[in-house]
Amino acid sequence: MQPVKKALQAWRIQQRVIVALMIRELTTRFGRENIGFLWIMAEPMLFAVLVGTMYSIMIGEQEHGVGVIAFVASGYIPLTVMRNSFGRIVSIFLVNGALLYHRQVRVLDFILVRFLIEMVGGMMAYLFVGTLLIAFDLFPVPAHIGFFLAGWSLYMLFVFSLCLVIAPLSEMSEVLEKLMPVTVYIAIPLSGTFNMVSWLAPAARDVVLWSPFVNGMEMMRYGLFGDAVRPYYNIWVPLGASAVLAVIGLALCRRVRRTLVVE
Amino acid sequence: MISCINLKKNYRVGHTEKRVLKGVNLSIAPGDRIGLLGRNGAGKSTMIKLIGGVEMPTSGKVHREMTCSWPLGFNGGFQGSLTGYDNARFIARIYGKDYSEMRQFVEDFTELGRQLRMPVKTYSSGMRARLAFALSLAIEFDCYLIDEVILVGDKNFQEKCHYELFERRKDRAILLASHSMDSIKEFCNKSAVLQDGLLTEYDNVDEGLAIYQTL
Repeated sequence: MQPVKKALQAWRIQQRVIVALMIRELTTRFGRENIGFLWIMAEPMLFAVLVGTMYSIMIGEQEHGVGVIAFVASGYIPLTVMRNSFGRIVSIFLVNGALLYHRQVRVLDFILVRFLIEMVGGMMAYLFVGTLLIAFDLFPVPAHIGFFLAGWSLYMLFVFSLCLVIAPLSEMSEVLEKLMPVTVYIAIPLSGTFNMVSWLAPAARDVVLWSPFVNGMEMMRYGLFGDAVRPYYNIWVPLGASAVLAVIGLALCRRVRRTLVVE
Repeated sequence: MISCINLKKNYRVGHTEKRVLKGVNLSIAPGDRIGLLGRNGAGKSTMIKLIGGVEMPTSGKVHREMTCSWPLGFNGGFQGSLTGYDNARFIARIYGKDYSEMRQFVEDFTELGRQLRMPVKTYSSGMRARLAFALSLAIEFDCYLIDEVILVGDKNFQEKCHYELFERRKDRAILLASHSMDSIKEFCNKSAVLQDGLLTEYDNVDEGLAIYQTL
């Protein structure tokens, strides 16, 4: 009974800390003026709509039988969540060091909180963009919403487990911080942002399907467009990759915390 | 009771390791008021950070069997870009304390008035000290870790600290790192001297101060 009680109490404290950190993070980042934390959805929204419009002017309104704006938006919003999470997670222990004065605040909370803010912002942006575009008939009403959510969850799970690794690594080596933006752009073709697997040659399919992002993205696209697209996916790729990365990440976090110098 | 058992702490400086603490033992019993003495760089702040759990020892253990505040100092514990009120709200949240009570206490104790609506980075060191004390006194701890900060305040602040810490909370333990012999004499009943990475405890203040003067 005792350990259960202890675990429950620890969980309650962690919950309190996470809520407090989220509120703190939102106030420092967006302030209290004008639309405040709604800004978080402005950026992915503008991105998706502007790039989508540009593409539809460049290559026409439809590609492989799906609307270009809808296709770009569905690829870009998860990508911005990925990119922003990675950007925000670099050097996070150093930036938030002052908070480690309070023992109940754990380094894992920092990672979780920043990731959650990005993800929730992405979801709000998605909902907003989707509703808006549906009203203009530029976006499909999701064919299989469950499928979409499953794909989103797998994609985000993998982003989060990568964050668990990037955060401590960025503390161990400054090289990573410089390399981060480059690697994210290299990741674009491997994240399924611009294409379906079925559009590729069979040999290329086998390669990109090793990317956990692609598997999640395929599921999201099928959930949105239904039978207009043909999805290829294997849920065990993102699940397995996330599990491995999370274990490595947790071990690294623990190691880095032991030697972390707090000002 | 808080006990430090064979604490060692190394910091990495380039490719070499700097050994700051080389096996320190210290126990703080309820009601102990320990003055922590040592020259600049002797490891007083490191010691306090380890006891407070801000940094982890390279080896050794800290057992905390009573609640222990975060180290009170000029930085740490609050966020410079946030206002005094925001910091109070954050601390109230993570320690599960009612915010309106906290706010009332912080306003009364700090007497900072409208300044509480300004970001903490605009505060002077005296104002920071007031805020740091107010925030940690608003949460009840069994042991307070104080790193220098008590000395910067004006007379009015020192009197308040004296009242809150030494009259209202007589039964609490305190670990006070300071270079001011007067304040150690005034506040403490025990002393500990850090020298060459090792710590020696003394059951009274005068003995520790005498050693400290010869360093």
